Amino acid sequence: MRSLLEAVSYFREYDKLANISEIARRYFAMNAFDGVLTIIGVLMGNFVAGVSDARIVLSTGLATCVAMGVSGLWGAYLTESAERKRDLDELSKVTLTDMTNTRIGRASRAAIVIVAVVDGLSPLIAALIVLLPFFVAGSTDDLSWAYYTALGLALVTLFGLGLFLGHISKGRMIIYGLKTVLAGVVSIAISFFLGVEG
Amino acid sequence: MAKIRRLVLDTLKAHEPNIIDLANVLSELVGVSSVNISIYELDRMVENAKITIEGDAISFEQVSHTIEDMGGTIHSIDEVVAGKEIIDDAVTLQG
Repeated sequence: MRSLLEAVSYFREYDKLANISEIARRYFAMNAFDGVLTIIGVLMGNFVAGVSDARIVLSTGLATCVAMGVSGLWGAYLTESAERKRDLDELSKVTLTDMTNTRIGRASRAAIVIVAVVDGLSPLIAALIVLLPFFVAGSTDDLSWAYYTALGLALVTLFGLGLFLGHISKGRMIIYGLKTVLAGVVSIAISFFLGVEG
Repeated sequence: MAKIRRLVLDTLKAHEPNIIDLANVLSELVGVSSVNISIYELDRMVENAKITIEGDAISFEQVSHTIEDMGGTIHSIDEVVAGKEIIDDAVTLQG
């Protein structure tokens, strides 16, 4: 219990120093959005191609999820490391002190790890939510209900993300929700017509 | 060894942690009873702070380590009072 309280206290301090929650929030919204739209693309590809085996949808979907997760984790880690190293070096230069082992340095390193994990997990989890119906579909012959449910879940997830963004901006949450859902609908429509044309 | 009762330091520090956090941490050090920090110059990335610390037995090592840990650097030690009680500097013809 005490160590948990200490961890919370450290996080609060590091958050204040390195602005962790604001950046992580931004990454979370952006990458969860990316994750849902990407998995919509994968689903629509399978749907218009007439894939009726849940295992194929799951294997392509999961491979995409893992790729997005790894991409997010690696990308954010490298980007954040480079940016924060530059900031820390600049501060060290101005103060003529090595900032690596100060609270600022430790907060900076914690921020890199936390932001990278958020960036990696957010598209992965968002995409897994959308794929849920295919986990329960098993070996049923007709997969159309799973496709429709998954696409419905995708739109609900997008709407949830919109509400979250609306809550952050203290704007009209419903409007934000509708905007993110619109992105999903546009993505589904374009993929569908491309598939039909093809 | 004589006990340090007052320290006045000229420091350069990053904007964050701010002087409220720095004062809180310094005031929790053993032997410190009160801390006063004032900013007298602000730059884009750093600020100059005058730190005055009073107490029964101030450890300079702990104070300097805390300031450095919180992203600051001591430019100079501007005043030290040590001994049984705090005295101010004597008025002389030079000032």
